[in-house]
Amino acid sequence: MEPYISVKNVSHKYPNGVTAIKDINLDIHEGEVVAILGSNGSGKTTLVKHFNGLLKPTKGEITVGTMNTKKERISKLSSRVGYVFQNPNHQTFLPSVKQELAYGCKNLKMTEEDIETRVQKAIDLFRLEDRLDDNPFDLNSSQRKEVAMASIMAVSPKVIVLDEPTTGQDHKGCKRVLELVRMFQREGHIVVLITHDMHLIGELNCRTVVMNQSEKIADDHASVVFSDKGIMEEAGLQPPQITQFANQITNLDEMKTYLTVESIIEWMKANKEEDVKVGTGS
Amino acid sequence: MNSLYMPKDSLIHSLDPRTKMLFVVFVVASSFILNDPALQLVFLVALFPLVVMAKVVKPYLISIQFLLLFAVLIMTVHGIYNPIGVTPVFEIFGGLTFKYESMVYASVMSFRILVIGTAAVLFVMTTHPSDMASALVKWKVPHSFAFILLSTFQIIPIIAREAKIVMEAQQARCLDVKGSLIQRVKNLVPMFAPLFIITFMKVHQLSYVLECRAFSRKGEKTSLRETKIGSLDYTFLLGMLGFLAFEIYLKLFMMGSLQLTTDALLTYSLFGTWIVFGFMIIKFVVKQFQGKIGGAN
Repeated sequence: MEPYISVKNVSHKYPNGVTAIKDINLDIHEGEVVAILGSNGSGKTTLVKHFNGLLKPTKGEITVGTMNTKKERISKLSSRVGYVFQNPNHQTFLPSVKQELAYGCKNLKMTEEDIETRVQKAIDLFRLEDRLDDNPFDLNSSQRKEVAMASIMAVSPKVIVLDEPTTGQDHKGCKRVLELVRMFQREGHIVVLITHDMHLIGELNCRTVVMNQSEKIADDHASVVFSDKGIMEEAGLQPPQITQFANQITNLDEMKTYLTVESIIEWMKANKEEDVKVGTGS
Repeated sequence: MNSLYMPKDSLIHSLDPRTKMLFVVFVVASSFILNDPALQLVFLVALFPLVVMAKVVKPYLISIQFLLLFAVLIMTVHGIYNPIGVTPVFEIFGGLTFKYESMVYASVMSFRILVIGTAAVLFVMTTHPSDMASALVKWKVPHSFAFILLSTFQIIPIIAREAKIVMEAQQARCLDVKGSLIQRVKNLVPMFAPLFIITFMKVHQLSYVLECRAFSRKGEKTSLRETKIGSLDYTFLLGMLGFLAFEIYLKLFMMGSLQLTTDALLTYSLFGTWIVFGFMIIKFVVKQFQGKIGGAN
């Protein structure tokens, strides 16, 4: 199957001479959820900013759908790749949630009915019926974030990029993000997540790309990446607590990485008669 | 944080900000005392060694380009159209004639801009904003005023950074920033509305942060960066004073017999600005062209 986003040997050098990403190769297929991990300054954001053309590769090539990002306008690419910024305050400016949702579609010069249907779809997806006339700045931060996401989704891009969606969110907000990502996937979108939230990745149990010092050092399923001690240490990452805990239990199924509490409980139920043996780490 | 300050190790950098502020005042005064294009040109050239000494030649040349735009405009437009001119110097196509008096007027104006600009750039590039604030406080400027000045310096790069993010964020919402002129004017709203809100939020936060660190406490304050006037400053000040005296002497007693300004000087300085301006345009066009090929945004 042809990948939807294809990154080929891409490097990006900022005008100040800093090389933010070096020789990256990455294919993202339809229906995938990809988490991009790495410490601050490792090049995660630079990489994803290439997807909607905010940055153009200084070397290499990126194709989104059939479009070469070098040759297309950001406004056109943005209809395929929605980018939700970390701080919703950078995006929202209209006096009501409804206008905010319609803004992207209006920029694409859609017809009134078309805008109406798309906005309605976003309202249904995000359950925003009661907040349509609120001013986005009167909402709390997680609601505002949701409005920002909904306003991107209203354009119904194929790919949705979430830049640190759980940062600064309370537990409820984080759970909602998880729910939304799963929903996007069900709706047939590709989701690209930049995050430091290992718990979120554990729950999503998705493909994980690890960046370190401008380079891609791992690209595999979360369970594989999280169990690779070398890579985790190199990138300065720590797997979710439950995975660390599971790694200490020596008589656990060695072949499997446990990413969620539920998976451990399941194992415990299945191995009731055995004692849990805690070792010094595997 | 401080976009214009260039941390370098030089004599000019080690001068007290107060000396440098007096230097700017001195240059402004001189540019008015030396009311003659030739003398101003000499003065402008004389300032350049200071720029070299401060080791900021390249950034200086970059920032002075904008002032050169003014100079080109003033010298060309005034030289041709200013009604005070009567004596023709030379004619370009279409009967447009540069006249002596108007060229003198235009040259004085544009050299003055360049001279004052040079001093200002030199001051800003070699003085850490915090040093300037603490120097002002030593001059009995109220602490809060000094801080207002300081925070203005510091907030500009912050706003610039935020503006870039806002623009990217709006582009991510399918806003076409490269549309027609009307479209671009319309785009100002989605650009500036979030920018204003964010800036106000930041300023509001800043006021809290300041209060948490006892900003409004009464009484004397000390500064982390202390400035002191030393022998170097005195030498510099003395030099300036001597120069000022010389200028006044020149102005009062020598102006009658001194005729440095000639047609040739005026014409050459006009051509000089044109040539430099031409280079700037060529550089700009080449950059645009490269941008198109390289696909940089």
